[in-house]
Amino acid sequence: MHARVGESILQLWRASGARSLFVAGTAKNVGKTVALRAVYRACTATGSFPGIASIGRDGEAVDAVDAIAKPRLWLEPQTVIATARDVLPASPASELLALSSITTAAGVLVFARVRCGAHYELIGPPNASAVRAVVDRLVDYAGIAIVDGAVDRVAALAGGDDAIVVACGAAGAATIGEIVDDVRALVVRLQTPRYDGRGEALAIEGALTPARVAQLIHAREQRAIVVRDPTQIVLRGKAVLHAFERLRIRCERPLRVIAATVASIGGDRSFSPRALAEGVARATGLPTFDVYAAERAA
Amino acid sequence: MRPGRLVDAPTAAAIGFGWLREALKPRSSYGEAAFGDLLPFAPHRAAQARARAARIERIAAALDSEQLDEAREVARHVPDVTSAIARASMGDVLEDANFFELQRFFEACERLDALTAACNDLPRTASTPLRECARVLESGRTARPGFYLADAFDDSLAQVRAAFVRAQAQYEAARGRANAAVAEELGREISPPEFIVMRADLRGPLPAGVRVVREAPTYLLCELDADETVLAALRRRDETAAEVARAEGSVRARISETIRAHVPALDHAMQAFGQCDVLIAAARFTRAQRCHVAELADDGVFSFEGGRFVPLALELQTQGRRFTAIDVRLDGIAVLTGPNMGGKSVALRTCGFIALCAAFGVPVPAARARVPLFSEIAWLGIGGDGESSAGDLLSSFAREIVRLRDLLGRRAGPRLFLLDEFARTTTPREGKALLVAVIERLREEDASGFAATHLDGIAKAAAARHYAVRGLRGIPERPAGDDLEEALETLAASMDYTLEEVAADGAREADAIALAALLGIDPAVIDAAHRAMESE
Repeated sequence: MHARVGESILQLWRASGARSLFVAGTAKNVGKTVALRAVYRACTATGSFPGIASIGRDGEAVDAVDAIAKPRLWLEPQTVIATARDVLPASPASELLALSSITTAAGVLVFARVRCGAHYELIGPPNASAVRAVVDRLVDYAGIAIVDGAVDRVAALAGGDDAIVVACGAAGAATIGEIVDDVRALVVRLQTPRYDGRGEALAIEGALTPARVAQLIHAREQRAIVVRDPTQIVLRGKAVLHAFERLRIRCERPLRVIAATVASIGGDRSFSPRALAEGVARATGLPTFDVYAAERAA
Repeated sequence: MRPGRLVDAPTAAAIGFGWLREALKPRSSYGEAAFGDLLPFAPHRAAQARARAARIERIAAALDSEQLDEAREVARHVPDVTSAIARASMGDVLEDANFFELQRFFEACERLDALTAACNDLPRTASTPLRECARVLESGRTARPGFYLADAFDDSLAQVRAAFVRAQAQYEAARGRANAAVAEELGREISPPEFIVMRADLRGPLPAGVRVVREAPTYLLCELDADETVLAALRRRDETAAEVARAEGSVRARISETIRAHVPALDHAMQAFGQCDVLIAAARFTRAQRCHVAELADDGVFSFEGGRFVPLALELQTQGRRFTAIDVRLDGIAVLTGPNMGGKSVALRTCGFIALCAAFGVPVPAARARVPLFSEIAWLGIGGDGESSAGDLLSSFAREIVRLRDLLGRRAGPRLFLLDEFARTTTPREGKALLVAVIERLREEDASGFAATHLDGIAKAAAARHYAVRGLRGIPERPAGDDLEEALETLAASMDYTLEEVAADGAREADAIALAALLGIDPAVIDAAHRAMESE
């Protein structure tokens, strides 16, 4: 069914009560920036100007890794951004709010307020702890913040109180089935239930690794396996699903996944948008949107 | 702060050079640059060393701890404008981030000067040219505080920016109309630049202005073609954006020119800031550690009263224990004896630390001090074996001897030798002979220092003055249980760590058996040790 995707995700975000929204992807070029842009536009349309940051690099005309044309970020006046000093456009001038001590490959990270609308390139902090510091500062400046997450950087979600949108798409896998499995695994991991204190528990200090999981499954562990938060589970794909089927994995601080987005085109592949969106919605139980088709899976 | 030839690595580690460097470390990049150049004063520069220490002492007296701490905070946050000023000096047009940094630097200079206004011993960082530069940047100040190349810098900025905003609005309106027309025909929102149209939803041809970029079995990936109206609006937008860029570039060039005209004054401000930062760090150390300016002796006498080895004193303080300050008077090489755990090594370290402070022109942690400027402070013995190219093939004794050979091989003026139980790992007879010989050799070169030892009769054999740690005030009772902490506390309470000169070369007991008992050795072993002593 047709939907105003940006507005719908914004409503879900607001309903979650979180001050920041992470768009995390299952792979590169699965529509994270397109989803971010839709939410951003919905924000600005209501007179709300979020802080914007990236984990990685966003907004450049061409992907620095695979040379694919990237969606660009046109930002409106009053928007606060965190980006590397060397990619901040000289003109139109932005209001510089702070020069941080966080270094990136393109110079120190700066906080700036957009004064005239322009295309901006965002280069993000180099590590998870710096991401958290940047998000907190953006929330301080702007009240709310949206973060475009790079692939495999969910560690940046640790210790935060963010809403999460999971993006998946044709660029990430060869079949709809694979995409659905990948996104389901990511969502299962991110939505690790909170340990309710009932029954015996085995607290895991640090990361829950594949080797540790194999050991626990082999030992037929019956206790709840409790990690600090879902980012401590360093499993991917089917290994996640396998682990959650065999073990009672719980966490102390769950994360809030509010929606999924799909991109049925990617690279040289394309899938049926509705079949993909419905598959993802069924597998994850999340409100699922196709930003390109302006649809929500029924 | 570099040790130069004053201390080598083993000595530096033994007498707390690294600790002192951390304590005196400035906070700003300018301070770090000045600090990195700091070398110990050579013996012939006693007047300069004393002048520096006196200046630091005056600063410590003029500013209270709060002012010193606040000045340190200002230094911690000041941005490094070295690169911006260097670029300006070469005629480069600076970026807004450079202006922001300069503005914060100017503010930091003013703040530092205000905080230190009561003290005439610190250089002023702000000056008329600096204030002129600050005035030029003032229009860019924003509330947070931040920096923006605001319209107030130049009338033209407001005009071109307004034109850009209008052009952008016209472009968005034209594009919005085109989008809305397509969205209405499709009956749904579209999100340019790329959007999908499901074949199943299509009831006829695509709306005008929609271009298919890719066809899939169930959908079409489309883009909007810009019509002439949109293209004209876009061209106008881009033209006005270029005008904004030109106008902003022109303002930046003008500001950069002002900065360039004042580069010498700004260079001076950076240097002055660095000096202030270094001196404030030293003044803070002086105030916190109750340091005093040492009289710099040229007669070789090294003496102090109430001297403290600050790294240990602070560590003890965190444990709720107290460091016993010591008095020392050295006129050449003296022998130091005393019980185990009586503080002989600490006494040596205290001497080294005080000599180190004096050498860098810093007030020393003593109530009174008379210190020569040494060309080298040399530690030999426990903790100072150093590295040898022969590595682990050498025994402890051999390593010590190799280090002694190296130390005796370099002669470079007045030296302070701190020998901590040298030759302890060979037979007492041969060890004594070696130590006596070394003391005689050091006396020949007019060195000062202490030779701490448990060997008997060294002072007499070497005709050296003899000091001793006063030691245990009676034999302490062993605490019940095996609590080591409690045993150490009992020991500390029983030990008199002060030094006294011993007139005769009477043998002093090391109280080793009493200490062994206190530290929990089986009483049967202790009894056997006493019997063995009595049978000798």
